Amino acid sequence: MQFASIRLLPALCLALAAGIAGAAQSDDARLAALKKRLAAMAEQTAQVEAVTQLQRIGRSFGYYVDKGYFGEAADLFADNATFRWGNDGIYRGKSRIRELLTRHGGGSMKEGPGLPFGRLNLRMQLQPVITVAADGKSAQGRWREWGLLGQYKKAAIWGDAIIEDRYLLEGGVWKIAARDYYVNFEAPYQGGWAVLKPGTFTAQSAVAKEFAPDSPVPSAYPAFPAVYVPPYHFAGSTPAAIQGRPPVQSSPKRADDALGRLEAEADARELQLARAQSLRAVENLHGIYGYYVDKGQWKQAAALFSRNGTYEFGQSGVYVGPASIERGLSLMGPAGLQEGQLNNFVMVQPIIHVDAQNRTARARWRNDVLQSRAGQGRWGGGIYENEYVNENGTWKISKLHYHVTFWGEYEQGWGAKPIPMDPPSTTLPPDRPPTLVYQSFPKLQVVPFHFDHPVTGKPHEVQ
Amino acid sequence: MATNKIASTVLARGLVLLLGLAGAGGAAAAPSAADIAAVEKELSALAPRIERLEDLHEVEIVQHAYGYYVDKAQWKSLADLFADDATLEIGGKGVFLGKQRVYQYMNEGMGAPGPRDGLLIDHQQFQCLPTILEDGVTARARCIAFVMSSGGWGHVYYENVYRKYDGKWKVQTLHGPFNMYSGYRQGWVDNVTVNTYPEKFAPWPDLPPTVVYLTYPSYYAEPFHYANPVTGKVAPPPSPRAGGEAFGR
Repeated sequence: MQFASIRLLPALCLALAAGIAGAAQSDDARLAALKKRLAAMAEQTAQVEAVTQLQRIGRSFGYYVDKGYFGEAADLFADNATFRWGNDGIYRGKSRIRELLTRHGGGSMKEGPGLPFGRLNLRMQLQPVITVAADGKSAQGRWREWGLLGQYKKAAIWGDAIIEDRYLLEGGVWKIAARDYYVNFEAPYQGGWAVLKPGTFTAQSAVAKEFAPDSPVPSAYPAFPAVYVPPYHFAGSTPAAIQGRPPVQSSPKRADDALGRLEAEADARELQLARAQSLRAVENLHGIYGYYVDKGQWKQAAALFSRNGTYEFGQSGVYVGPASIERGLSLMGPAGLQEGQLNNFVMVQPIIHVDAQNRTARARWRNDVLQSRAGQGRWGGGIYENEYVNENGTWKISKLHYHVTFWGEYEQGWGAKPIPMDPPSTTLPPDRPPTLVYQSFPKLQVVPFHFDHPVTGKPHEVQ
Repeated sequence: MATNKIASTVLARGLVLLLGLAGAGGAAAAPSAADIAAVEKELSALAPRIERLEDLHEVEIVQHAYGYYVDKAQWKSLADLFADDATLEIGGKGVFLGKQRVYQYMNEGMGAPGPRDGLLIDHQQFQCLPTILEDGVTARARCIAFVMSSGGWGHVYYENVYRKYDGKWKVQTLHGPFNMYSGYRQGWVDNVTVNTYPEKFAPWPDLPPTVVYLTYPSYYAEPFHYANPVTGKVAPPPSPRAGGEAFGR
């Protein structure tokens, strides 16, 4: 980050070299061009602000329902918004949504906010992928909900769901216009998700039996242990969610007059804005990668890498290029997974840095894994230290390095039954050996940080 | 970082000014002062909005870094995230005053620096909701620490205050109310820890807890620092019956 102050130097050197000889454009044309550029910057700023605001709305939802503030949660929706709850059906309008959330969360329609004794309704809202429409008036978002639910002395339950939202800008205020809430499972803590039987969540919930939806779902889906992919609002390897401005190749020369001074300031602001937008694009990119990995979509996940991108997981070695990376990913299971296989890769806690030219980025991410294979549940946890590249405005993963912290059996937990990392595969061997040799839990080590300390600015010294 | 930005902007302006002086006299008719002023106004309206986007990100980085440092007991790095006169209050332990005491709380309360084989203390930072206040140098954030540790599960909120010093955001107030702590074997169906308290472990706090509450299976709702992002209304306190069996009856 200490390099931020020198990022303008190349521009200035160029400007010096060019002098004022290049001021061929008339001042009127220059003024018009600058005004046009500022208008575009204002739109782009609104786009990035929309992403942060929609993240805020999504996270607010979680904080409200956690504590039984169901009216406040329903207030995040437009007046005639719809809420699809799993296969139960569709509820329409704020008051119906409020009651829906209240009933599922164990609250009360009579009282103020709150929950009764012993009710747990922690619904963590994670891994947002937000796509704002080009006109800036609507948007879509995908979220992962990870729930800790239950009733003291009676039940502890894991919740897993995918949310696909549509948002609208109404009178300058972003609101949720439609939410499709795809429950994947509500699994008992004892035994976990691996004990669930087919068909568990195709039937109507107890809430829906007493509180009938306003309309049925267009089509029912098979939840876990089936492998169902809730429709993505994004598609292909270059969705809008991972687009930004191209990197700065060379800074334009600016004349030495009042207008030129403003042009130069606009250049600097434009780059600053482009980098802020890139942060969100990289955040979206890694989120999308996680959603593809969830469902064994190896080809789609591999297509998010650059041509020479690398993939390294634990001690499995390095796979180079999308075709090879697809093979590396397939070590986790068959493409599309099989019934009963869970492969949730929860992507959280990003620390993203975009370089001064908006050309490359680095990010640290936390990952939790909820797996099941052959009827056995598993936990995993690790840290990514990744690199990304801006290919003419589309962000790609150029280096993915997953450092395994722990892997363990669900029943006894990672503490009692840690699973060591796999060595490089002999059937689908990597292109290169591991770049870093280490052991996972019970061994622990500090995963190197790509960034200097946020306050002191000094490189990390292992303590 | 923002200081650097200001510095670089000043530098840029200075050099552009120098260029302007060197080339004076050769320029064609300049646009009207009104035109220039209008453009200048537009740019200066955009600048704080763009800076706010960066600030939101940087505050989140401070909180996320805090989590990574806790994971591996990197107490010096952790304490360095705090302002000299910061405060720290986690669970029911009371308030610790100043960066040195933050270090001591971690070093004595949580154990010596560095990861210890076989002891997992992952403090995962989830769902951060930062707000930059009007003054541009104060921020607040509600976040979750989802703890996966050798002891089991923990779900903790933060309602923190951050302040920008010389362009760097630091933790000014760390306030971490617990929501749920449980062991691994049974999960939160039983065997939950309802809160910590000042004498639970050394060191003792400088000030008593700012709020005394019981966590799950009881109910406590930490006030929200932010207004509802759609209605603009601040959420009221919960029903006084919340956390009791009569709630909703």
